[in-house]
Amino acid sequence: MPLISLNNLSVTLQKNTILSAINLTLAAGDILGLVGPSGCGKTTLLNTIAGFIAQNQGSIQLNHFGEKRTINAEHGIPPEQRNIGMIFQDYALFPHLTVAKNICFGIAKQTNSAQKAQLNTLLKLLKLDDLADRYPHQLSGGQQQRVAIARALAPKPALLLLDEPFSNIDARLRNDLMIELRSLLKTLKITAIFVTHNKNEVFSFGDKIAVMAEGKILQTGVPAEVCQQPNCWQVADFLQLGAWLPITALSEEALSEEGLVISDFSEHRQTTVSSYHSALGPIKNTLTSPKVLSGNKLVLLVKPQHISLRSQGEKNARVEHVAITEQGYHYQLSSLETKNELAFSTLSFYSDELLSLGENISITVEPTPLLIFNQE
Amino acid sequence: MLKQTYLLGLKIFTTEKAEVLRTEPKIIKPLCRIEEPSVLQRSSVVNNDEKTKETPLYFSLLLLTIISFSALWSFNSFASDEVNVYSYRQPFLVKPLFEQFTQQTAIKVNVIFAKKGMAERLAREGKYSPADVLLTTDISRLIELQDKKLLQAFESAIIKKAVPSQYRAQNEQWFALTTRVRNIYSAKRLGDIELDYLDLADEKYRGRICTRSGKHPYNVALVAAIISEYGESKTLAWLKKFKANLARKPQGNDRSQVQAIHQNLCDISLGNSYYFGKMLKDDKQKVWAEGVNINFPNQANRGAHVNISGMALAKYAPNKANAQKLMEFLVSKPAQQLYAEINMEYPVRTDVKPSALVASWGNFKADTLPLETIAKHRKTALKLLDKAQFDL
Amino acid sequence: MLISALTSTSDLFLHLWQSVLPHYLLNTVLLAVYVVSLTLVFGVISAGLIVHTNIMGKKILRWLLILPLAMPAYIVAYLYTDLFDYAGPVQRALRSMFNWQSPQDYWFFDIRSLFGAACVISLVLFPYVYLLTRTAFEQQNQNLLRAGRLLGLSPKQNFIKLILPLARPALGISASLVLMETLADFATVQYFAVNTLTTAIYDTWLGYGDLPSANALASVLMLFIFAVVFVEQKARAAQSQQKSMINNQQQVIILSAGQQFSASCCCWFLAIAGFLLPFSLLLVMVFEYSTSAQFFSLLDSALNSLELALYVATIAVLIALVLVLFQRLSRDISKNLPIQISSFGYAIPGTVLAMAMLATFGPVDHSINDIAIYLQLPEPGLILSGTIFALAIALVTRFAAIANGAVSSGMKQIPANLDLAPASLGVNLKTSLAKVHLPLLKSSILGAWLLVFVETMKELPAVLLLRPFNFETLSTQVYQLISDEMLEQGALGAILIVLFGLFPIIWLNSSNAKTDKTTHTSSIANAFSSKKRPQRN
Repeated sequence: MPLISLNNLSVTLQKNTILSAINLTLAAGDILGLVGPSGCGKTTLLNTIAGFIAQNQGSIQLNHFGEKRTINAEHGIPPEQRNIGMIFQDYALFPHLTVAKNICFGIAKQTNSAQKAQLNTLLKLLKLDDLADRYPHQLSGGQQQRVAIARALAPKPALLLLDEPFSNIDARLRNDLMIELRSLLKTLKITAIFVTHNKNEVFSFGDKIAVMAEGKILQTGVPAEVCQQPNCWQVADFLQLGAWLPITALSEEALSEEGLVISDFSEHRQTTVSSYHSALGPIKNTLTSPKVLSGNKLVLLVKPQHISLRSQGEKNARVEHVAITEQGYHYQLSSLETKNELAFSTLSFYSDELLSLGENISITVEPTPLLIFNQE
Repeated sequence: MLKQTYLLGLKIFTTEKAEVLRTEPKIIKPLCRIEEPSVLQRSSVVNNDEKTKETPLYFSLLLLTIISFSALWSFNSFASDEVNVYSYRQPFLVKPLFEQFTQQTAIKVNVIFAKKGMAERLAREGKYSPADVLLTTDISRLIELQDKKLLQAFESAIIKKAVPSQYRAQNEQWFALTTRVRNIYSAKRLGDIELDYLDLADEKYRGRICTRSGKHPYNVALVAAIISEYGESKTLAWLKKFKANLARKPQGNDRSQVQAIHQNLCDISLGNSYYFGKMLKDDKQKVWAEGVNINFPNQANRGAHVNISGMALAKYAPNKANAQKLMEFLVSKPAQQLYAEINMEYPVRTDVKPSALVASWGNFKADTLPLETIAKHRKTALKLLDKAQFDL
Repeated sequence: MLISALTSTSDLFLHLWQSVLPHYLLNTVLLAVYVVSLTLVFGVISAGLIVHTNIMGKKILRWLLILPLAMPAYIVAYLYTDLFDYAGPVQRALRSMFNWQSPQDYWFFDIRSLFGAACVISLVLFPYVYLLTRTAFEQQNQNLLRAGRLLGLSPKQNFIKLILPLARPALGISASLVLMETLADFATVQYFAVNTLTTAIYDTWLGYGDLPSANALASVLMLFIFAVVFVEQKARAAQSQQKSMINNQQQVIILSAGQQFSASCCCWFLAIAGFLLPFSLLLVMVFEYSTSAQFFSLLDSALNSLELALYVATIAVLIALVLVLFQRLSRDISKNLPIQISSFGYAIPGTVLAMAMLATFGPVDHSINDIAIYLQLPEPGLILSGTIFALAIALVTRFAAIANGAVSSGMKQIPANLDLAPASLGVNLKTSLAKVHLPLLKSSILGAWLLVFVETMKELPAVLLLRPFNFETLSTQVYQLISDEMLEQGALGAILIVLFGLFPIIWLNSSNAKTDKTTHTSSIANAFSSKKRPQRN
């Protein structure tokens, strides 16, 4: 049974639909990373789950200790009764209380000795032993975050929400902290949802990913799966899986023409072949037909590693920008024809060969499973 | 940077008045200057014309400072034909008299009114004090001024002739303009009764007496008079019983006590004579006054306690001649008549009759105790009032 | 002052101590405690209701509750003692309605009592608490409150356990302001026939003519205030204020219709009792008694008032700027001292302050004249103590707290980096102050200016004693009439004072509403918030 499931959740604030028809389930012990461009409703979703914002439609189901509770528009549960913990982006430590008092804030109803025991455990766990009597403003950012975590964990919440937990942390410390926190959550078997706009954080911190845009969840799943099979162009775009090559569907007759780029993929040989036209010439698909095969604004997702330089053939791209990276030279290309609807300007690839700026070159797309989307 | 401006401001503040005043119309400018819209806009010009932008701000701050100080001079100019009065009395009570004086003599009268700290101010001002004449409403103030050596004696045959010696200082440093009786008001419902000050301690009036604060100069003078007659310990006992008779904590002024009688909160109160007249002339207060009889206490023995409103010449009076003219004017028959008419007090001149209304309350016997004696016991009176916890 | 206190005549002290002083002291402490707690209760409840609930008529009440600030306390005191006195219209009406004959027949609260005084003073002073607390509430980091909820607090528990403690700096500052106003105010308390330490100061000074003893008592009063403010500051020294500009949608407590109604009533009561009622009483008096001649005779005084207020506000703000910039540029805690000391002028009773001015400028004047005589120049006379110079300086001293507070809180909102940024652009310090700090401080400066302006319009005792010849202000005009129990005649002047105070207050409030970031209105006397808070990061 999932620990939390959101069914058809919608939130409207001041006549603006912030969240619409959100469906999400999360099993106990899983860590879900919620990503999406800013303003897509991630934080609103967290706040709705926490109970700070009331939903207009749909329900939230919480199953904790076998107790099943449903929250819907008619029957709300105030935040303090949801047994949910939250770590805020700015940590929201109480500035007038010491570290120890901050941590014990949520367990004030317990006996003194129980509080003390819990406090000591958490201090030890989060390596805050020496800081118990300090005030928040006397701590470094990392220490403040650990206090925030300790404070959130003290009441043993069923679900922990984290709002951009690493955004205020020094980039070099960030990775260590993520690993540290992840292992902590795993040890304590805590289910968590965290919000970020950095996909790498999801890959290192989360078990699952949910991509949001414009108030909707576009795709959920294991990170690797989502990366390989993004279900729409926004997901791929947000996750920066590659660049976009505009294409149009081609009639059957054009198939045999020369200079055809064949996207051959042996496992999927049995499927229907369909072909497209692009600024790099025709592209043939041998893969299981993607859902969207026709449309006015089709694009092909092209990852840098799938583009290769041809020594001969028609010139079809111009070098717009050169950068030196660890993987070799990184080139940004645009199509020679710029006014065409198939024109591209963002393709990039790596090569050991040195090309000069403005040089016209010939490139081809390697045979890969075609990820074609409709951008409309 | 601002400190400099400030210093500069002080420096310029010593320049000539005319020059400073000329800059006044520019006062609008600094405000505009400070309202410069945004940092971004400003910082963009920082490098281009730093110098030209900087000066107006300096300049404007400077200007403000200068203008602020420049005004000081406008109050420091006195024409030669004038007389300066420090008054404990509200100016509107004496204004008609001064107006008449100016009309007659073309001498302008300047007035400052304050109830607290006037003597201190005079003392601090010392020999440069602009004050010529002091106008007080109570003997103790005059004595205080005299004791602090802030007054000077003056020779005036006119005043000597007009004011009975009882109401003049022996050292000729002050004299009274009017006298007022500390009356006892009693509710008409009590019928016609004779009341002495000592009766205020009579147990039969328990909870039926109202008064203003015991510390008010009028009451302090009364207590001082009692002390000089009966001695300290008797007075203290009297005060304690008086206090026990009070219907409420001492509060308000003499008029509000009469109002309280009207409202049946108490039957007896202390009040100066002229308030009775003033209340009768006030539309709202008339009903209060009509509910009480005005009693002149101690008619069978020493006579009623009398205080004065008085006048004195400041020690360093710059316009001494004008001051003398004003003083002599105020004891003149017409002025005394007008003063008595306006303020419902008893004119100090024996040959001027009080207003018809005041006269209708009948003649009375006034206590002949020298005013100086009353003033002498003032501090003791205050202490006794404290000891009796009269105001608490 | 302290030195003269030690050498003062101990006889008088002994006498006072044996007779009335303990009582006065008790009254002083009780008055302070009552007023501070009442203003806190009024201010916090109203601010809490306005910010944290969905109370009815929120928009109107939000600024209506500030208006009592425009009411001079002595006028309100007069009006209320008149209204609720035994002889006042309220008790008269009650008596005629129930046919009561004497005070023994019924119980009615005694307005002329310590508690009555505390109530009325609180009604006029609570807007200080309201304003500061409201801004503090509005600026509170919502995430802190959300954290509180998730850690198990209900909205109401949240208010008590988080919102209030977090607003403590604002509460502390406004309470100390109220405390100082209360203790410095003699005229108001006098209407209520309540004797406090200030009474003793006046008694010893004017009655017994013993200035040293009066000084000693004044020192005791100052020490008392110092002690309270110091203890309060010390208690929150370790905490840091965390101000957040994030003002995401306030979580309001949803009240039931009944609760909404009663909450609304509470706020309306404060607004009515503190402003609307006294204001309309004045209006009625104006309509009944005022004539156009009266109005024209007041014009001169009004101009004087305006002129004085203009000077005082300008000088006070300039000085505040110098002090605040000085404090800012020398990042040394001990440099806070000038600004803190200058802020205590607020606690000195106006008359005492006036005396201090005379004592200071009198001798200076004398030496100026001596020099003039020596140089054979015409004697300038009392060019300092005899002109509005002394008056202006006295008022500047008295209201420095307000100007300093407003300007320094504005300064605190300028990030420290901005001190350095201009240098990085090759601009020198002077220019950067002129081009960066001053423009950014604009609204704070204007706010400080207006607040001092309003206070100067209202101020009475110092003006009374220090003004030059023929220099009547609105407040002295009104006082003359009040002192003869004829406020009716002075109602027009009183209305003018209130109106002059009203416009800046409304303006401040609306500008505050527009730009949520400016806190100038509410940061009066921020100078009391002592040490520089350690910055986060």
